[in-house]
Amino acid sequence: MDGKTAPVTGLVDESNSGAKANGWLRVLKALRTSLRRMLGCLAGLLAVALATFCAFQLHLNLSASGSLFFLIVVMVAVVWGFWEASITSLVAVNCLNYFFVPPLLTWRVSDPQDWVALATFEMAALIVSRLSTRVQAKARAEARQRVGVEKLYQISQRILLLDRRQMIGPQLVSLIQEIFGTETVALFDAKLARLDATGSRASELGQLARDAFFQDRTLQGPENFSWAHVLRLGVTPVGGIALCGPELDRLASAPIASLSAIALERARSFENESRAEAARQSEQLRTAVLDALAHAFKTPLTAILTASSGLLVAGRLSPDDAELATLIDEQAEHLNHLTSELLQMARIDAADVGLRRERISVLTLIEDALARHREQLDGRRVSVPESASSLEIYGDREILTTALEQVIDNASRYSTPGSPISVSAEENLGETIIAVHNEGPPIRPADRERIFDRFFRAEESRHRAPGTGLGLSITKKAVEAHGGRTWVVSNEDSGTTFFFALPRGQRRQYESVARQDSGR
Amino acid sequence: MSQSHGKILVVDDESSIRRALHSTLHGMGFEVYEADTGEAALDLVRAAEYDVILLDINMPGIGGVRACREIRRSLPRLEILMLTVRDSEEDKIAALDAGADDYITKPFHIRELAARIRAAVRRSSSFHSDPDAVIQIGNIELDPARRLVRKAGEPVHLTPKEFDLMRYLMAHAGLPMTHVRLLRAVWGPEYGGELEYLRTFIRQLRKKLEEDPAEPVYLLTDSHIGYRFAEAKPEPVAEKR
Repeated sequence: MDGKTAPVTGLVDESNSGAKANGWLRVLKALRTSLRRMLGCLAGLLAVALATFCAFQLHLNLSASGSLFFLIVVMVAVVWGFWEASITSLVAVNCLNYFFVPPLLTWRVSDPQDWVALATFEMAALIVSRLSTRVQAKARAEARQRVGVEKLYQISQRILLLDRRQMIGPQLVSLIQEIFGTETVALFDAKLARLDATGSRASELGQLARDAFFQDRTLQGPENFSWAHVLRLGVTPVGGIALCGPELDRLASAPIASLSAIALERARSFENESRAEAARQSEQLRTAVLDALAHAFKTPLTAILTASSGLLVAGRLSPDDAELATLIDEQAEHLNHLTSELLQMARIDAADVGLRRERISVLTLIEDALARHREQLDGRRVSVPESASSLEIYGDREILTTALEQVIDNASRYSTPGSPISVSAEENLGETIIAVHNEGPPIRPADRERIFDRFFRAEESRHRAPGTGLGLSITKKAVEAHGGRTWVVSNEDSGTTFFFALPRGQRRQYESVARQDSGR
Repeated sequence: MSQSHGKILVVDDESSIRRALHSTLHGMGFEVYEADTGEAALDLVRAAEYDVILLDINMPGIGGVRACREIRRSLPRLEILMLTVRDSEEDKIAALDAGADDYITKPFHIRELAARIRAAVRRSSSFHSDPDAVIQIGNIELDPARRLVRKAGEPVHLTPKEFDLMRYLMAHAGLPMTHVRLLRAVWGPEYGGELEYLRTFIRQLRKKLEEDPAEPVYLLTDSHIGYRFAEAKPEPVAEKR
């Protein structure tokens, strides 16, 4: 995949060429290692041969030539490693025996002290080689670790610079590959159901990253050096990452996974922030448009209504003229009602992002709705329960008053004229339920669900009372914006009751204020 | 023209509304003058005397609320009636707190507007009232000097704060009193946000004074704005004079 990233969705064909290339790479690596070993041994042997030749020509004794060989073995250990040094030391001890231990130029050893010297030489050479290799390995590991930490630091810095306007996944996998030199990286984002991968074994590791997420645990790939970790935000798994590369172990890959999770979280929070900002701006725009619209509609309506009611009040019209003026008056009033409800609907539609919540006493809410609606109630008895004074809800006062007002309006329109209406409120199972009951013909079962739909009007109600078909849908929308629900119960005997339930707010007693005062 | 029922200044930036109001109010016997901005209204009220000013809240320039505040500063006695649209409770409260006497919501019926104007004209002509004079509205009687309230002739026991609240409301009968204004007038200038105090007290007063506290006739709620005490004598009491 030539180093570029590509989102992989679904399973992709096994990339055979990639796997083959990978096999070759491994063979090449093994070859290189053995070649290096042989080179080390060869160099050791050459050095020993050279030293033997020189020492033999110079007639050095056993201890002097032993020291020389010892030096060679240590140097081989430092430069190449333990195994090369061991082979060199074995050859060296044989050379010592053959060329420098009497009788010379034989393998025999006549003096037992020479056996001790040769054994000591071999043991010392082996121990020193071993120690030197170990120290070197440790130094190398430390250096590797330092490089690892530097890379992690580098990636944490670069994550801050990722382009927020573009998808984070592709940027992140390229970044990991660039910094860690991994062979393949695959990142699975569970929220977006998106897989980003780069490298030769993209599809294989993509599946591994998915598996790690779905099984919610760290997985090791079929071959060494490939690992898949779960990405978590806090304790919640949000995706998976699979990595494969030379010398990549479980410990090295875990911090990469943590950093990737942080990068994802950071991208998410930026995204949420900008979405909230966009919503706020469109809400502002909407409110501004609505206000302008309200003004634009209400002004001509005011002029029409003033003129029509003025004509009627003046009382100088013939009966026919008065009838026409009344018609204008009524229809302008109806248009006004419709405009108000459409505006309310639009405001409530926008309210999902802009509820102005506060604590409201349920009794106050009922009183406010009734006060607004007093004219239409036309002196009808409305009973309000005393129990409502101790109940409170947490919501948008304006929107909830409108919601309740619409239900009361509905009750007064479609009930038996002059019959009482009752409003009740109670708390039940964590909800505050407000109910408005009226007497009158029941709502057909088929209409009970649809009655809350926008513009729906029941067949028989169309002839009974003027209406817009918006009222109850306003209530439903307003209540749902608060996380509540609406329903209706209706039958021939007991009449119709509309309910709306809101998640409960905290209860608080205000009666104490009144008691303090009356106690004086 | 026959005798004028009062001099009205209509201030609205919409000429259609000014024209409609001019014709109808003129037909009802009022003397009508017009201004199309708050600034023009200020010039007019400084130059001539009016009984009532109808002031639109939403106008370009200084706007209705600021115009109201300016007019109130120079003419404390002029009756100011604000013209508003529904769902603009904050504007209404701002206007009332700026010194407006009353408000009416557009679109209105001329009958309702005329009633409010007549009440305003009546108030402006009977301004000199004795603060200790007994106030009688319907069958409720309040005697400030003796701190006594009677309902249909029977004394009603009120707590001191309840009495102060009643007195303030009855002294401004017919006019909307914002929550903040009532709280400051009765409890003190440091109050203003304690709406539930008020609601509790109004509830108590309704229990003591209304026939049916759920259907108040005297102590009326002005949704989201505040309260107003009924002005005209409510139905149960027959007109005697």
